[in-house]
Amino acid sequence: MTAPGAGAVLGVEVAEGLRGVIREPAALFFSVVVPVLFFTMFTALFGSMPSPNGLPVAASMLATFGAFGVVSVMQLNPGISVASDRESGWLRMKKVSAAPVWITIAGKVLAALPYALAVLAALTAVALAVVGPVIGVGPWLRLVVVLLLGSLPFACLGLAVGFLASANATTAILNAILFPMVIASGLWIPLEAMPAWVGGIAPFLPTYHLAQLALAQLTGAPAAAHVLVLLAATVVTGGLAGWAYRNLRV
Amino acid sequence: MGVTRDGEPALRATGIEHAYGDVPALRGVDLEVAPGECVALLGPNGAGKTTLIGLATGLLAVQTGRVAVKGRDPRRAATRRLLGVVQQQLGFPRTLTVAELVRGAAVRAGRPATAALGALAEVGITELADRRSAKLSGGQQQRVALAMALVGDPQLLLLDEPTVGLDVTARREFWQTVAARRDAGAGVLLTTHVVEEAAAVADQVVVLHEGRVIAAGSPAELIALLPDRTVTARTTLPACAVADLPAALSVSNDGELLRVSSTAPEELLRAWLAADPWLSDLRVEGAGLEQALVVLTERAGVFA
Repeated sequence: MTAPGAGAVLGVEVAEGLRGVIREPAALFFSVVVPVLFFTMFTALFGSMPSPNGLPVAASMLATFGAFGVVSVMQLNPGISVASDRESGWLRMKKVSAAPVWITIAGKVLAALPYALAVLAALTAVALAVVGPVIGVGPWLRLVVVLLLGSLPFACLGLAVGFLASANATTAILNAILFPMVIASGLWIPLEAMPAWVGGIAPFLPTYHLAQLALAQLTGAPAAAHVLVLLAATVVTGGLAGWAYRNLRV
Repeated sequence: MGVTRDGEPALRATGIEHAYGDVPALRGVDLEVAPGECVALLGPNGAGKTTLIGLATGLLAVQTGRVAVKGRDPRRAATRRLLGVVQQQLGFPRTLTVAELVRGAAVRAGRPATAALGALAEVGITELADRRSAKLSGGQQQRVALAMALVGDPQLLLLDEPTVGLDVTARREFWQTVAARRDAGAGVLLTTHVVEEAAAVADQVVVLHEGRVIAAGSPAELIALLPDRTVTARTTLPACAVADLPAALSVSNDGELLRVSSTAPEELLRAWLAADPWLSDLRVEGAGLEQALVVLTERAGVFA
Protein backbone atom coordinates (compact mmCIF):
# COMPACT_ATOMS: atom_id res chain seq x y z
CA MET A 1 0.00 0.00 0.00
CA THR A 2 1.61 3.23 -1.12
CA ALA A 3 0.51 6.62 0.08
CA PRO A 4 0.07 9.18 -2.69
CA GLY A 5 3.17 11.29 -3.26
CA ALA A 6 2.67 14.77 -1.84
CA GLY A 7 4.53 16.27 -4.81
CA ALA A 8 2.33 14.55 -7.37
CA VAL A 9 -0.87 15.56 -5.57
CA LEU A 10 0.35 19.14 -5.24
CA GLY A 11 1.03 19.14 -8.99
CA VAL A 12 -2.54 18.02 -9.68
CA GLU A 13 -3.97 20.65 -7.32
CA VAL A 14 -1.96 23.48 -8.89
CA ALA A 15 -2.84 22.31 -12.40
CA GLU A 16 -6.56 22.21 -11.49
CA GLY A 17 -6.37 25.69 -10.02
CA LEU A 18 -4.57 27.12 -13.06
CA ARG A 19 -7.02 25.49 -15.47
CA GLY A 20 -9.92 26.97 -13.56
CA VAL A 21 -8.76 30.51 -14.22
CA ILE A 22 -7.50 29.96 -17.76
CA ARG A 23 -10.77 28.36 -18.84
CA GLU A 24 -13.08 30.73 -16.95
CA PRO A 25 -11.05 33.90 -16.50
CA ALA A 26 -14.07 36.00 -15.49
CA ALA A 27 -13.47 35.03 -11.86
CA LEU A 28 -10.22 37.00 -11.73
CA PHE A 29 -11.35 39.80 -14.05
CA PHE A 30 -11.64 42.48 -11.38
CA SER A 31 -8.51 41.47 -9.51
CA VAL A 32 -6.46 41.93 -12.67
CA VAL A 33 -8.32 44.56 -14.66
CA VAL A 34 -9.02 47.13 -11.92
CA PRO A 35 -5.39 47.70 -10.86
CA VAL A 36 -4.21 47.74 -14.47
CA LEU A 37 -6.89 50.21 -15.53
CA PHE A 38 -6.22 52.65 -12.69
CA PHE A 39 -2.50 52.27 -13.16
CA THR A 40 -2.77 53.10 -16.87
CA MET A 41 -4.82 56.18 -16.15
CA PHE A 42 -2.55 57.55 -13.43
CA THR A 43 0.65 56.72 -15.32
CA ALA A 44 -0.61 58.49 -18.41
CA LEU A 45 -1.39 61.58 -16.30
CA PHE A 46 1.54 61.76 -13.90
CA GLY A 47 3.91 58.92 -14.83
CA SER A 48 7.06 60.86 -15.62
CA MET A 49 6.76 63.45 -12.82
CA PRO A 50 8.94 62.91 -9.75
CA SER A 51 7.24 61.62 -6.62
CA PRO A 52 8.24 62.81 -3.10
CA ASN A 53 10.70 59.91 -2.68
CA GLY A 54 12.62 61.05 -5.77
CA LEU A 55 11.50 58.22 -8.05
CA PRO A 56 9.35 58.90 -11.12
CA VAL A 57 5.67 58.45 -10.25
CA ALA A 58 5.45 55.46 -12.61
CA ALA A 59 8.16 53.66 -10.60
CA SER A 60 6.53 54.45 -7.24
CA MET A 61 3.21 53.29 -8.59
CA LEU A 62 4.71 50.03 -9.76
CA ALA A 63 5.28 49.33 -6.05
CA THR A 64 1.95 50.63 -4.72
CA PHE A 65 -0.34 49.38 -7.49
CA GLY A 66 1.76 46.23 -7.65
CA ALA A 67 1.04 45.68 -3.95
CA PHE A 68 -2.65 46.34 -4.56
CA GLY A 69 -2.84 43.94 -7.50
CA VAL A 70 -0.92 41.13 -5.79
CA VAL A 71 -2.84 41.45 -2.51
CA SER A 72 -6.12 41.56 -4.39
CA VAL A 73 -5.39 38.28 -6.22
CA MET A 74 -3.83 36.50 -3.25
CA GLN A 75 -6.38 37.52 -0.64
CA LEU A 76 -9.45 36.83 -2.79
CA ASN A 77 -8.60 33.92 -5.07
CA PRO A 78 -7.57 31.05 -2.73
CA GLY A 79 -10.14 32.02 -0.08
CA ILE A 80 -13.11 32.24 -2.44
CA SER A 81 -11.97 29.08 -4.20
CA VAL A 82 -11.93 27.10 -0.93
CA ALA A 83 -15.33 28.48 0.06
CA SER A 84 -16.94 27.48 -3.24
CA ASP A 85 -15.31 24.04 -3.13
CA ARG A 86 -16.83 23.60 0.32
CA GLU A 87 -20.23 24.65 -0.96
CA SER A 88 -20.19 22.45 -4.05
CA GLY A 89 -19.09 19.33 -2.17
CA TRP A 90 -15.80 19.12 -4.10
CA LEU A 91 -13.71 19.66 -0.98
CA ARG A 92 -15.59 16.81 0.70
CA MET A 93 -14.66 14.55 -2.21
CA LYS A 94 -11.03 15.44 -1.65
CA LYS A 95 -11.33 15.00 2.08
CA VAL A 96 -12.34 11.35 1.70
CA SER A 97 -9.39 10.72 -0.62
CA ALA A 98 -6.02 9.45 0.59
CA ALA A 99 -4.39 12.84 -0.04
CA PRO A 100 -4.26 15.23 2.94
CA VAL A 101 -6.45 18.31 2.51
CA TRP A 102 -3.63 20.72 3.40
CA ILE A 103 -2.07 19.90 0.02
CA THR A 104 -5.27 21.10 -1.66
CA ILE A 105 -5.03 24.33 0.30
CA ALA A 106 -1.35 24.85 -0.49
CA GLY A 107 -2.12 24.13 -4.14
CA LYS A 108 -4.71 26.90 -4.20
CA VAL A 109 -2.20 29.45 -2.91
CA LEU A 110 0.48 28.31 -5.37
CA ALA A 111 -1.99 28.33 -8.27
CA ALA A 112 -2.86 31.97 -7.53
CA LEU A 113 0.79 33.12 -7.72
CA PRO A 114 1.01 33.09 -11.54
CA TYR A 115 -1.98 35.45 -11.68
CA ALA A 116 -0.40 37.80 -9.18
CA LEU A 117 2.70 37.68 -11.38
CA ALA A 118 0.54 38.38 -14.43
CA VAL A 119 -0.79 41.56 -12.79
CA LEU A 120 2.77 42.72 -12.14
CA ALA A 121 3.75 41.92 -15.72
CA ALA A 122 0.77 43.88 -17.06
CA LEU A 123 1.60 46.90 -14.88
CA THR A 124 5.22 46.76 -15.99
CA ALA A 125 4.21 46.57 -19.64
CA VAL A 126 1.95 49.62 -19.24
CA ALA A 127 4.73 51.56 -17.49
CA LEU A 128 7.18 50.67 -20.25
CA ALA A 129 4.74 51.63 -22.98
CA VAL A 130 3.63 54.91 -21.43
CA VAL A 131 6.75 56.25 -19.71
CA GLY A 132 9.60 53.99 -20.80
CA PRO A 133 12.01 52.14 -18.51
CA VAL A 134 11.85 53.72 -15.03
CA ILE A 135 13.67 51.09 -12.94
CA GLY A 136 16.47 48.62 -13.54
CA VAL A 137 15.95 44.88 -14.02
CA GLY A 138 17.57 44.04 -10.64
CA PRO A 139 15.29 46.26 -8.51
CA TRP A 140 12.30 45.11 -10.58
CA LEU A 141 13.08 41.47 -9.86
CA ARG A 142 13.47 42.23 -6.15
CA LEU A 143 10.17 44.10 -6.22
CA VAL A 144 8.41 41.09 -7.76
CA VAL A 145 9.92 38.61 -5.29
CA VAL A 146 9.11 40.80 -2.29
CA LEU A 147 5.50 41.35 -3.39
CA LEU A 148 4.85 37.67 -4.06
CA LEU A 149 6.42 36.49 -0.79
CA GLY A 150 4.78 39.32 1.12
CA SER A 151 1.35 38.24 -0.11
CA LEU A 152 1.39 35.19 2.19
CA PRO A 153 -0.38 36.85 5.18
CA PHE A 154 -3.13 38.04 2.84
CA ALA A 155 -3.55 34.55 1.38
CA CYS A 156 -3.83 33.19 4.95
CA LEU A 157 -6.50 35.76 5.80
CA GLY A 158 -8.45 34.85 2.67
CA LEU A 159 -8.25 31.13 3.54
CA ALA A 160 -9.32 31.73 7.16
CA VAL A 161 -12.51 33.40 5.93
CA GLY A 162 -13.00 30.86 3.12
CA PHE A 163 -12.79 27.95 5.59
CA LEU A 164 -15.77 29.26 7.55
CA ALA A 165 -18.00 31.43 5.35
CA SER A 166 -20.03 30.72 2.22
CA ALA A 167 -18.54 31.69 -1.15
CA ASN A 168 -20.70 34.81 -1.43
CA ALA A 169 -19.99 35.88 2.14
CA THR A 170 -16.26 35.22 1.66
CA THR A 171 -16.22 37.47 -1.41
CA ALA A 172 -18.05 40.21 0.44
CA ILE A 173 -16.01 39.98 3.64
CA LEU A 174 -12.65 39.89 1.87
CA ASN A 175 -13.50 42.83 -0.38
CA ALA A 176 -14.80 44.77 2.61
CA ILE A 177 -11.42 44.25 4.27
CA LEU A 178 -9.37 44.77 1.11
CA PHE A 179 -10.58 48.09 -0.23
CA PRO A 180 -10.46 50.25 2.92
CA MET A 181 -7.07 48.71 3.72
CA VAL A 182 -5.76 49.47 0.24
CA ILE A 183 -7.00 53.07 0.22
CA ALA A 184 -5.82 53.84 3.78
CA SER A 185 -2.38 52.44 2.94
CA GLY A 186 -1.98 54.91 0.07
CA LEU A 187 -1.92 52.26 -2.62
CA TRP A 188 -4.36 54.08 -4.91
CA ILE A 189 -3.82 57.68 -4.02
CA PRO A 190 -0.48 58.65 -2.42
CA LEU A 191 -0.73 59.30 1.33
CA GLU A 192 0.70 62.78 0.70
CA ALA A 193 -2.47 63.63 -1.21
CA MET A 194 -4.78 62.33 1.54
CA PRO A 195 -5.91 63.81 4.88
CA ALA A 196 -3.21 63.57 7.55
CA TRP A 197 -5.27 61.18 9.74
CA VAL A 198 -5.17 58.56 6.95
CA GLY A 199 -1.38 58.73 7.11
CA GLY A 200 -1.72 58.08 10.84
CA ILE A 201 -3.69 54.84 10.23
CA ALA A 202 -1.48 53.52 7.44
CA PRO A 203 1.42 52.16 9.60
CA PHE A 204 -1.07 49.83 11.33
CA LEU A 205 -1.98 48.13 8.06
CA PRO A 206 0.02 45.25 6.52
CA THR A 207 -0.71 46.52 3.00
CA TYR A 208 1.16 49.74 3.84
CA HIS A 209 4.23 47.78 4.92
CA LEU A 210 4.10 45.55 1.84
CA ALA A 211 4.07 48.62 -0.43
CA GLN A 212 6.85 50.29 1.59
CA LEU A 213 8.91 47.09 1.43
CA ALA A 214 8.44 47.05 -2.36
CA LEU A 215 9.35 50.75 -2.60
CA ALA A 216 12.47 50.14 -0.52
CA GLN A 217 13.69 47.77 -3.25
CA LEU A 218 13.71 50.79 -5.58
CA THR A 219 14.94 53.50 -3.21
CA GLY A 220 17.29 51.48 -1.01
CA ALA A 221 15.48 52.72 2.12
CA PRO A 222 15.75 50.51 5.26
CA ALA A 223 13.21 47.70 5.07
CA ALA A 224 13.73 45.57 8.21
CA ALA A 225 10.77 47.08 10.09
CA HIS A 226 8.41 46.32 7.18
CA VAL A 227 9.65 42.73 7.01
CA LEU A 228 9.04 42.32 10.75
CA VAL A 229 5.49 43.68 10.52
CA LEU A 230 4.72 41.36 7.59
CA LEU A 231 6.15 38.39 9.50
CA ALA A 232 4.00 39.27 12.50
CA ALA A 233 0.97 39.58 10.21
CA THR A 234 1.77 36.14 8.80
CA VAL A 235 1.90 34.64 12.29
CA VAL A 236 -1.47 36.19 13.17
CA THR A 237 -3.29 35.35 9.93
CA GLY A 238 -1.60 31.95 9.73
CA GLY A 239 -2.81 31.19 13.26
CA LEU A 240 -6.28 32.35 12.28
CA ALA A 241 -6.25 30.13 9.20
CA GLY A 242 -5.02 27.19 11.28
CA TRP A 243 -7.80 27.68 13.81
CA ALA A 244 -10.40 28.00 11.04
CA TYR A 245 -8.98 24.86 9.38
CA ARG A 246 -9.52 22.86 12.55
CA ASN A 247 -13.14 24.04 12.53
CA LEU A 248 -13.49 23.33 8.83
CA ARG A 249 -16.94 21.98 7.95
CA VAL A 250 -16.97 20.33 4.56
CA MET B 1 1.21 -0.27 9.19
CA GLY B 2 2.49 -1.80 6.00
CA VAL B 3 1.28 -5.26 7.00
CA THR B 4 -1.49 -6.58 4.80
CA ARG B 5 -4.29 -8.07 6.82
CA ASP B 6 -6.28 -10.08 4.33
CA GLY B 7 -8.39 -11.71 7.01
CA GLU B 8 -9.82 -8.37 8.10
CA PRO B 9 -13.32 -7.45 6.92
CA ALA B 10 -13.50 -4.62 4.40
CA LEU B 11 -15.50 -2.65 6.97
CA ARG B 12 -16.30 -3.33 10.60
CA ALA B 13 -18.36 -0.93 12.67
CA THR B 14 -19.13 -1.89 16.26
CA GLY B 15 -21.25 -0.16 18.88
CA ILE B 16 -21.62 3.03 16.87
CA GLU B 17 -23.49 5.86 18.50
CA HIS B 18 -23.45 9.26 16.87
CA ALA B 19 -25.29 12.50 17.54
CA TYR B 20 -25.36 15.96 15.98
CA GLY B 21 -25.58 18.12 19.07
CA ASP B 22 -28.56 16.73 20.95
CA VAL B 23 -30.03 14.98 17.94
CA PRO B 24 -29.09 11.29 17.82
CA ALA B 25 -28.36 9.94 14.33
CA LEU B 26 -27.11 6.44 15.19
CA ARG B 27 -28.01 4.63 18.41
CA GLY B 28 -25.91 1.49 18.70
CA VAL B 29 -25.17 0.09 15.24
CA ASP B 30 -23.02 -2.92 14.35
CA LEU B 31 -22.20 -3.58 10.72
CA GLU B 32 -19.72 -5.70 8.84
CA VAL B 33 -18.88 -5.87 5.14
CA ALA B 34 -16.73 -8.83 4.12
CA PRO B 35 -14.43 -8.76 1.09
CA GLY B 36 -16.47 -9.72 -1.96
CA GLU B 37 -19.74 -8.86 -0.22
CA CYS B 38 -22.28 -6.21 -1.15
CA VAL B 39 -24.32 -4.77 1.72
CA ALA B 40 -27.25 -2.43 1.14
CA LEU B 41 -28.32 0.08 3.77
CA LEU B 42 -32.03 0.75 3.51
CA GLY B 43 -34.19 3.09 5.43
CA PRO B 44 -36.19 6.28 5.26
CA ASN B 45 -34.54 9.72 5.21
CA GLY B 46 -32.96 10.54 8.53
CA ALA B 47 -32.43 6.87 9.39
CA GLY B 48 -28.69 7.43 9.74
CA LYS B 49 -27.45 5.95 6.46
CA THR B 50 -25.33 8.91 5.38
CA THR B 51 -23.91 9.28 8.90
CA LEU B 52 -22.74 5.67 8.78
CA ILE B 53 -21.12 6.26 5.38
CA GLY B 54 -19.54 9.46 6.74
CA LEU B 55 -17.96 7.50 9.60
CA ALA B 56 -16.65 4.83 7.22
CA THR B 57 -15.06 7.45 4.95
CA GLY B 58 -13.36 9.14 7.90
CA LEU B 59 -15.24 12.36 7.19
CA LEU B 60 -16.88 12.18 10.61
CA ALA B 61 -15.00 11.43 13.82
CA VAL B 62 -16.30 8.42 15.72
CA GLN B 63 -18.02 9.50 18.94
CA THR B 64 -18.80 6.11 20.46
CA GLY B 65 -17.81 2.71 19.13
CA ARG B 66 -15.22 1.67 16.61
CA VAL B 67 -14.93 1.85 12.82
CA ALA B 68 -12.22 -0.02 10.94
CA VAL B 69 -11.52 -0.39 7.24
CA LYS B 70 -9.41 -3.52 6.79
CA GLY B 71 -8.57 -3.18 10.47
CA ARG B 72 -7.39 0.42 10.11
CA ASP B 73 -8.72 3.81 11.11
CA PRO B 74 -10.33 5.64 8.14
CA ARG B 75 -9.47 8.98 9.77
CA ARG B 76 -5.88 8.27 8.73
CA ALA B 77 -5.21 9.44 5.17
CA ALA B 78 -3.22 6.29 4.33
CA THR B 79 -6.22 4.08 5.19
CA ARG B 80 -8.37 5.96 2.72
CA ARG B 81 -6.12 4.61 -0.02
CA LEU B 82 -8.30 1.48 0.41
CA LEU B 83 -11.57 3.35 -0.16
CA GLY B 84 -13.56 4.24 -3.23
CA VAL B 85 -16.37 6.67 -2.42
CA VAL B 86 -19.32 8.01 -4.38
CA GLN B 87 -20.96 10.76 -2.35
CA GLN B 88 -24.43 12.21 -2.71
CA GLN B 89 -23.20 15.66 -3.66
CA LEU B 90 -20.55 15.53 -6.39
CA GLY B 91 -19.61 19.18 -7.02
CA PHE B 92 -17.02 18.71 -9.78
CA PRO B 93 -15.29 21.95 -10.77
CA ARG B 94 -17.04 22.96 -13.99
CA THR B 95 -13.79 23.79 -15.76
CA LEU B 96 -12.23 20.31 -15.57
CA THR B 97 -12.67 17.56 -18.14
CA VAL B 98 -13.71 14.02 -17.28
CA ALA B 99 -10.20 12.70 -17.97
CA GLU B 100 -8.67 15.38 -15.72
CA LEU B 101 -11.10 14.53 -12.91
CA VAL B 102 -10.33 10.82 -13.06
CA ARG B 103 -6.56 11.40 -13.42
CA GLY B 104 -6.68 13.65 -10.35
CA ALA B 105 -8.55 10.95 -8.44
CA ALA B 106 -5.90 8.42 -9.49
CA VAL B 107 -3.05 10.57 -8.19
CA ARG B 108 -4.90 11.33 -4.94
CA ALA B 109 -5.28 7.59 -4.46
CA GLY B 110 -1.55 7.07 -4.92
CA ARG B 111 -1.73 5.63 -8.42
CA PRO B 112 -0.25 6.85 -11.69
CA ALA B 113 -2.44 9.25 -13.67
CA THR B 114 -2.45 6.73 -16.54
CA ALA B 115 -4.69 4.46 -14.42
CA ALA B 116 -7.52 6.82 -15.44
CA LEU B 117 -7.73 5.20 -18.89
CA GLY B 118 -8.66 1.84 -17.43
CA ALA B 119 -11.25 3.31 -15.08
CA LEU B 120 -12.90 5.29 -17.90
CA ALA B 121 -13.13 2.12 -19.98
CA GLU B 122 -14.39 0.05 -17.04
CA VAL B 123 -17.30 2.43 -16.49
CA GLY B 124 -17.87 2.86 -20.22
CA ILE B 125 -17.25 6.59 -20.49
CA THR B 126 -14.10 6.63 -22.60
CA GLU B 127 -15.92 8.77 -25.18
CA LEU B 128 -16.62 11.42 -22.51
CA ALA B 129 -12.93 11.83 -21.62
CA ASP B 130 -12.52 15.33 -23.09
CA ARG B 131 -15.88 16.72 -22.01
CA ARG B 132 -15.98 19.45 -19.36
CA SER B 133 -17.85 18.46 -16.22
CA ALA B 134 -20.23 21.42 -16.67
CA LYS B 135 -21.55 19.73 -19.83
CA LEU B 136 -22.31 16.35 -18.22
CA SER B 137 -25.83 15.09 -17.53
CA GLY B 138 -26.65 13.91 -14.02
CA GLY B 139 -26.27 10.28 -15.04
CA GLN B 140 -22.92 10.92 -16.70
CA GLN B 141 -21.70 12.67 -13.54
CA GLN B 142 -22.61 9.60 -11.48
CA ARG B 143 -20.58 7.42 -13.82
CA VAL B 144 -17.62 9.79 -13.64
CA ALA B 145 -17.89 9.63 -9.86
CA LEU B 146 -17.86 5.82 -10.08
CA ALA B 147 -14.75 5.91 -12.30
CA MET B 148 -13.09 8.21 -9.75
CA ALA B 149 -14.02 5.78 -6.97
CA LEU B 150 -12.71 2.74 -8.87
CA VAL B 151 -9.46 4.22 -10.20
CA GLY B 152 -7.67 3.67 -6.87
CA ASP B 153 -8.46 -0.08 -6.92
CA PRO B 154 -10.41 0.12 -3.65
CA GLN B 155 -10.95 -2.76 -1.24
CA LEU B 156 -14.10 -1.06 0.06
CA LEU B 157 -16.58 0.81 -2.12
CA LEU B 158 -18.89 3.22 -0.31
CA LEU B 159 -21.79 4.35 -2.48
CA ASP B 160 -24.25 6.87 -1.02
CA GLU B 161 -27.42 6.93 -3.14
CA PRO B 162 -25.29 6.53 -6.26
CA THR B 163 -28.02 5.88 -8.81
CA VAL B 164 -30.30 8.83 -8.09
CA GLY B 165 -31.16 10.38 -11.45
CA LEU B 166 -30.05 7.43 -13.56
CA ASP B 167 -32.40 5.84 -16.07
CA VAL B 168 -33.03 2.10 -16.01
CA THR B 169 -30.28 1.21 -18.49
CA ALA B 170 -27.66 3.40 -16.84
CA ARG B 171 -28.64 1.95 -13.49
CA ARG B 172 -28.16 -1.61 -14.70
CA GLU B 173 -24.76 -0.77 -16.20
CA PHE B 174 -23.72 1.00 -13.01
CA TRP B 175 -24.54 -2.04 -10.88
CA GLN B 176 -22.93 -4.43 -13.36
CA THR B 177 -19.66 -2.52 -12.97
CA VAL B 178 -19.99 -2.55 -9.17
CA ALA B 179 -20.88 -6.25 -9.14
CA ALA B 180 -17.78 -7.06 -11.19
CA ARG B 181 -15.62 -5.34 -8.58
CA ARG B 182 -17.49 -7.15 -5.82
CA ASP B 183 -16.85 -10.47 -7.57
CA ALA B 184 -13.17 -9.50 -7.81
CA GLY B 185 -13.05 -9.20 -4.01
CA ALA B 186 -13.99 -5.64 -3.10
CA GLY B 187 -16.45 -5.06 -0.26
CA VAL B 188 -19.38 -2.80 -1.19
CA LEU B 189 -21.61 -0.76 1.10
CA LEU B 190 -24.39 1.15 -0.60
CA THR B 191 -27.39 3.17 0.41
CA THR B 192 -30.45 3.38 -1.76
CA HIS B 193 -34.11 4.22 -1.68
CA VAL B 194 -34.85 1.86 -4.53
CA VAL B 195 -35.70 -1.33 -2.74
CA GLU B 196 -35.78 -3.57 -5.83
CA GLU B 197 -32.29 -2.34 -6.59
CA ALA B 198 -31.01 -3.35 -3.16
CA ALA B 199 -32.69 -6.72 -3.50
CA ALA B 200 -31.16 -7.30 -6.91
CA VAL B 201 -27.66 -6.10 -6.10
CA ALA B 202 -27.00 -6.79 -2.44
CA ASP B 203 -25.99 -9.98 -0.68
CA GLN B 204 -27.09 -8.51 2.64
CA VAL B 205 -29.72 -5.89 3.35
CA VAL B 206 -29.53 -3.89 6.57
CA VAL B 207 -32.59 -1.87 7.45
CA LEU B 208 -31.91 1.27 9.46
CA HIS B 209 -34.65 3.15 11.21
CA GLU B 210 -34.12 6.12 13.51
CA GLY B 211 -30.51 5.19 14.07
CA ARG B 212 -31.03 1.50 14.80
CA VAL B 213 -30.74 -1.67 12.75
CA ILE B 214 -34.28 -3.05 12.77
CA ALA B 215 -33.64 -5.93 10.39
CA ALA B 216 -30.76 -7.54 8.57
CA GLY B 217 -30.38 -10.50 6.29
CA SER B 218 -30.33 -11.59 2.69
CA PRO B 219 -33.12 -10.11 0.59
CA ALA B 220 -34.87 -13.49 0.66
CA GLU B 221 -34.53 -13.80 4.45
CA LEU B 222 -35.93 -10.36 4.91
CA ILE B 223 -38.99 -11.17 2.84
CA ALA B 224 -39.45 -14.43 4.74
CA LEU B 225 -39.58 -12.51 8.02
CA LEU B 226 -42.65 -10.79 6.81
CA PRO B 227 -46.32 -11.28 6.21
CA ASP B 228 -46.54 -13.32 3.04
CA ARG B 229 -49.47 -11.51 1.44
CA THR B 230 -50.72 -8.04 0.82
CA VAL B 231 -54.33 -7.37 0.04
CA THR B 232 -55.19 -4.27 -1.98
CA ALA B 233 -58.75 -3.06 -2.50
CA ARG B 234 -61.08 -0.11 -2.89
CA THR B 235 -63.18 0.17 0.26
CA THR B 236 -65.74 2.44 1.85
CA LEU B 237 -64.28 1.79 5.32
CA PRO B 238 -61.83 4.23 6.89
CA ALA B 239 -58.24 2.99 7.17
CA CYS B 240 -58.40 2.75 10.95
CA ALA B 241 -61.43 0.46 10.74
CA VAL B 242 -59.58 -1.82 8.31
CA ALA B 243 -56.57 -1.89 10.62
CA ASP B 244 -58.84 -3.27 13.37
CA LEU B 245 -59.96 -6.23 11.25
CA PRO B 246 -58.68 -9.65 12.29
CA ALA B 247 -55.30 -10.66 10.76
CA ALA B 248 -54.60 -7.10 9.48
CA LEU B 249 -50.96 -6.22 10.26
CA SER B 250 -50.44 -2.85 8.68
CA VAL B 251 -52.43 -0.52 6.48
CA SER B 252 -51.16 1.95 3.94
CA ASN B 253 -52.71 4.07 1.21
CA ASP B 254 -52.02 3.21 -2.40
CA GLY B 255 -53.66 6.01 -4.35
CA GLU B 256 -57.41 5.52 -3.89
CA LEU B 257 -56.85 1.97 -2.77
CA LEU B 258 -55.97 0.61 0.63
CA ARG B 259 -53.12 -1.87 1.01
CA VAL B 260 -53.18 -4.27 3.95
CA SER B 261 -50.52 -6.80 4.85
CA SER B 262 -51.51 -10.02 6.52
CA THR B 263 -50.24 -13.47 7.42
CA ALA B 264 -53.75 -14.84 7.00
CA PRO B 265 -55.33 -13.04 4.05
CA GLU B 266 -58.35 -15.44 3.88
CA GLU B 267 -59.36 -14.57 7.43
CA LEU B 268 -58.80 -10.87 6.73
CA LEU B 269 -60.88 -10.95 3.57
CA ARG B 270 -63.81 -12.72 5.20
CA ALA B 271 -64.01 -10.02 7.85
CA TRP B 272 -63.39 -7.21 5.37
CA LEU B 273 -66.12 -8.36 2.96
CA ALA B 274 -68.55 -8.74 5.84
CA ALA B 275 -67.83 -5.20 7.00
CA ASP B 276 -67.82 -3.64 3.51
CA PRO B 277 -70.10 -5.29 0.93
CA TRP B 278 -69.00 -2.71 -1.68
CA LEU B 279 -65.34 -3.86 -1.58
CA SER B 280 -63.93 -3.72 -5.15
CA ASP B 281 -60.72 -3.81 -7.23
CA LEU B 282 -59.50 -6.60 -4.97
CA ARG B 283 -55.95 -7.89 -5.45
CA VAL B 284 -53.91 -10.32 -3.33
CA GLU B 285 -50.11 -10.45 -3.81
CA GLY B 286 -46.96 -11.83 -2.24
CA ALA B 287 -45.25 -9.07 -0.26
CA GLY B 288 -42.22 -7.53 -1.94
CA LEU B 289 -39.36 -5.91 -0.13
CA GLU B 290 -41.05 -2.53 -0.44
CA GLN B 291 -43.99 -3.71 1.68
CA ALA B 292 -41.55 -5.51 3.92
CA LEU B 293 -39.90 -2.20 4.72
CA VAL B 294 -43.20 -0.50 5.43
CA VAL B 295 -44.06 -3.22 7.89
CA LEU B 296 -40.61 -3.30 9.47
CA THR B 297 -40.39 0.44 10.01
CA GLU B 298 -43.94 0.58 11.37
CA ARG B 299 -43.19 -2.26 13.74
CA ALA B 300 -39.98 -0.49 14.84
CA GLY B 301 -41.99 2.66 15.41
CA VAL B 302 -44.35 0.74 17.71
CA PHE B 303 -41.55 -0.76 19.80
CA ALA B 304 -39.14 2.19 19.78
